[in-house]
Amino acid sequence: MNDKVASKIKKVSNLKYDAALAEEPFEWWGPSPEEARRVMSAKSKGMHDKRTTLKEAVAKYVKDGINIGIGGFVNTRVPVAIVHEIIRKGAKDLTLSFQSNSICAELLAGAMILDPDHVSIKRVELAWWGYEVIGIAPLLRYLTSRGMIRLDDYTNYGMSARFKAAAMGVPFIPTRDHGGSDMELVNRGKMVVCPFSGKNVYLVPACHPDVAIVHVTAADMYGNCRIFGAHCTCPEITMAATYSIVTTERIIPNENVRTYPNLTEIPYAAVDALVEQPFGAYPGASYGFYWFDMEHILKFRSLCEEFRRTGNKDNLKRYYDEYIFGCDTFDDFLGRLPYKTLRKIKDMDGGQPIILS
Amino acid sequence: MPEYTPFEMIAYTGSRVLEDEKIVFVGTGLPIIASMHAQLTHAPNLAMIFESGPLSPILEMGMPLSVGDTRACRKACYLKGLCAVFELTQRGYSDYAFIGGAQIDMYGNVCSTFEGGTYDRPQTRFPGSGGAGAMAANCERSIIIMALEKRRFVEKVEFLTSIGYGDGSPDYREKAGVMGQGPYRVITNQALFGFDEETKRMVLLEVLPGKTAKDIQDLVSFDLLVSPDLKEMAEPTAEDLRLLREVCDPDGYFLNRKVK
Repeated sequence: MNDKVASKIKKVSNLKYDAALAEEPFEWWGPSPEEARRVMSAKSKGMHDKRTTLKEAVAKYVKDGINIGIGGFVNTRVPVAIVHEIIRKGAKDLTLSFQSNSICAELLAGAMILDPDHVSIKRVELAWWGYEVIGIAPLLRYLTSRGMIRLDDYTNYGMSARFKAAAMGVPFIPTRDHGGSDMELVNRGKMVVCPFSGKNVYLVPACHPDVAIVHVTAADMYGNCRIFGAHCTCPEITMAATYSIVTTERIIPNENVRTYPNLTEIPYAAVDALVEQPFGAYPGASYGFYWFDMEHILKFRSLCEEFRRTGNKDNLKRYYDEYIFGCDTFDDFLGRLPYKTLRKIKDMDGGQPIILS
Repeated sequence: MPEYTPFEMIAYTGSRVLEDEKIVFVGTGLPIIASMHAQLTHAPNLAMIFESGPLSPILEMGMPLSVGDTRACRKACYLKGLCAVFELTQRGYSDYAFIGGAQIDMYGNVCSTFEGGTYDRPQTRFPGSGGAGAMAANCERSIIIMALEKRRFVEKVEFLTSIGYGDGSPDYREKAGVMGQGPYRVITNQALFGFDEETKRMVLLEVLPGKTAKDIQDLVSFDLLVSPDLKEMAEPTAEDLRLLREVCDPDGYFLNRKVK
């Protein structure tokens, strides 16, 4: 249709970047829309019990070199239980895709720093990686300053729209942002002239993860999911991916789903593996169940920051040994937390209203 | 006048800038506090959007610590996800973007991506655009909070994350394909800035009582325009400070930080 047309105004900033890298021919960093369609078309669509264990789900779907789409937003409904299992199993040369994340991205980055032959991240398509009120992400800073991972920057809408395009089954989506910013120069989107209005419009490519990892409020055993609180981009990420692993705070009867089908945000056909995992987003928050645990995040972040400043991995390694490698399951990890901690974050949620009936 | 901290002055000024009957898309920290204060005082019908999904919540559980905090969803009128709220901005439902950043230039372009080195190998990588780039593009007007320091008010930003007026040319934003009008106010603890309609350059509108335009220029790397009608910034009253300290941010997460 159109060759790339810039918004024509460059050199507004002092940006220094590798133009050859930014201009390299476009390639999908995961399945192409056609591949994603083929996988979906070939799947059995019958409604069956999808419940399994994280160990089985991760062993089946998480392979070296795949694109993992991470659900949640910053500290909210982040799929930490699934990330723990991915770290235990190991996966190399990963591409991560998400809008804004904190602990999941840092946990994977820390695993890479401890043993790059076990877990490694090759590149990340993202909008934001940090801890908000708690501070910047030390391991993001460490890995980028050494050129150890490649980033592809979009806005939060850009990444969300990319998952949405994939979920819609279209190869790109027009957005009203990125243009005129340096993201236009460095990311894989393109400015084109709209064939209808004749005006410039910025296109971002669909993002199909190989595997979506998402934590939801409730689901029936077939994988019909309800999400209360902010949806973040979880429905889009799950429906964009070729396979999905979903953890849920609670399994609810299918009868409840059929009573209020409007409450289903992710349909069963988009879920491949379902695990009932209470506190599955811990130390992140899950609306209606628990608030985020600031103390635990501060503790983990301080170990990462200590490593960034000193280069000494011992305390960081101790965290992973105690809480991930030393645990067989996420329940084992939760069992190492004081009851008072879980009680406190449950109270801090303040009884946000959710519908399980 | 009662004593106040620099962050309290920023939050109070942010509140003053917000008009009633509008929708403000807030970033974490001072923008939320400023909007809460505005709702409690002169703008009872001001509504907030948080980027994780809620529109117009009632923040009765206290200040959300981040825009993804589950408390930001409390008693919202509309609660979906990121696509829904950013599409509200594209369609014109959001009057203000309220953002921060690490660097700003005279045309209101903001950097929050990295400092030093190159994009591919930055010395200091920041979290990235997050919602800011989309908010600055498509909310009708942008309000930007920035610490008043030479290294932040720069000739050129190192990475243009959130679009302002670009190089100042009249059609920069149109060619960029964005929908909002662009930067409206820049808030610091010692000065309030706007933008000149013709040149799109930053204009000093108000200074802290006791400060001069030169004092402010000394903290800025580029040449400031100065409003012919330069005013003193209004200061928070005891009641404003009570609201900020006891209602908006009682634990002092954002108001009690030390200025770097």
